[in-house]
Amino acid sequence: MPLIGALPQPITSAPLVFFVYLVLILLLGSALASVLLRNTLYAIAAFAVSLVLVALLYLAIAPFLLVAVQLLVFTTVSAAVLSGLLRATTGLRTSSVGRLSPEWIIGAAVSAVMFALLAVVLGATAWPVQACCALPESFGGVLGSTYAVGLAVLAVILGSAALGSGLLLAAPTLISPRGGGSTPARGARR
Amino acid sequence: MNAGLNLLLVSSAALFAIGVFGVVARRSAVIMLLGTQFMFIAGALAFVAFARFGLGARHGAAGASMALFAGAIAVAELAVGLAMAALVYREHRSFALDADRG
Repeated sequence: MPLIGALPQPITSAPLVFFVYLVLILLLGSALASVLLRNTLYAIAAFAVSLVLVALLYLAIAPFLLVAVQLLVFTTVSAAVLSGLLRATTGLRTSSVGRLSPEWIIGAAVSAVMFALLAVVLGATAWPVQACCALPESFGGVLGSTYAVGLAVLAVILGSAALGSGLLLAAPTLISPRGGGSTPARGARR
Repeated sequence: MNAGLNLLLVSSAALFAIGVFGVVARRSAVIMLLGTQFMFIAGALAFVAFARFGLGARHGAAGASMALFAGAIAVAELAVGLAMAALVYREHRSFALDADRG
């Protein structure tokens, strides 16, 4: 009996292979767009698209709980934090695209159609989760038992991050008389 | 034609390279933070790929757990980093971290 068993076979189902390739190409493209775009708002939008594409990739190769967490928690929290930053600074206020402009309506409609399509496919066929992701042990059970300490540490880290970012944002800033920012220290050269 | 460990690892490496490029080549604090996020995502993707197709497949939930932890740490880092970026913006009315743009 070999010490190490045979490796799992790669995905060979044609639709699933096409899906993985498509998602990977789109993921790399959106990631590249995110770091190359000059407009911060568009860069953040490309980043959010990348997170959604990562969730779609996990749908093919990972437990469904990870897909749900990636899609519902990580993507939502990241997009909300980034949008909050832009709203707190300057990005969203100077956007030339109105709230009810055709761009927003088309984007919302396309997103709604994509999510509805995904929900219908998952609800009707359980594809591709059922086809590829039968794991030997429950993901939630492993998280709750083997990694209970890790989850506790993670909760502490997340709480510390929330507290730290809150304290940073609450820090007072001296307003310059010219409205540019803080007053420079004496002797400091601009 | 198939999709296996090699494809996902190459994609993970490419994603990591894109993140490094964002951190090194761009001056905006927001874009640099997005670059670090892509590096986290690349690491998580490699974990998941090894758990699904590699020797770790006998404990497939372990790779997904690591990806979950990496994602949560990335979100925490993003929150703190963006708070710092907001402070930088308050000071300089710009997200640029370059000293020339100070």
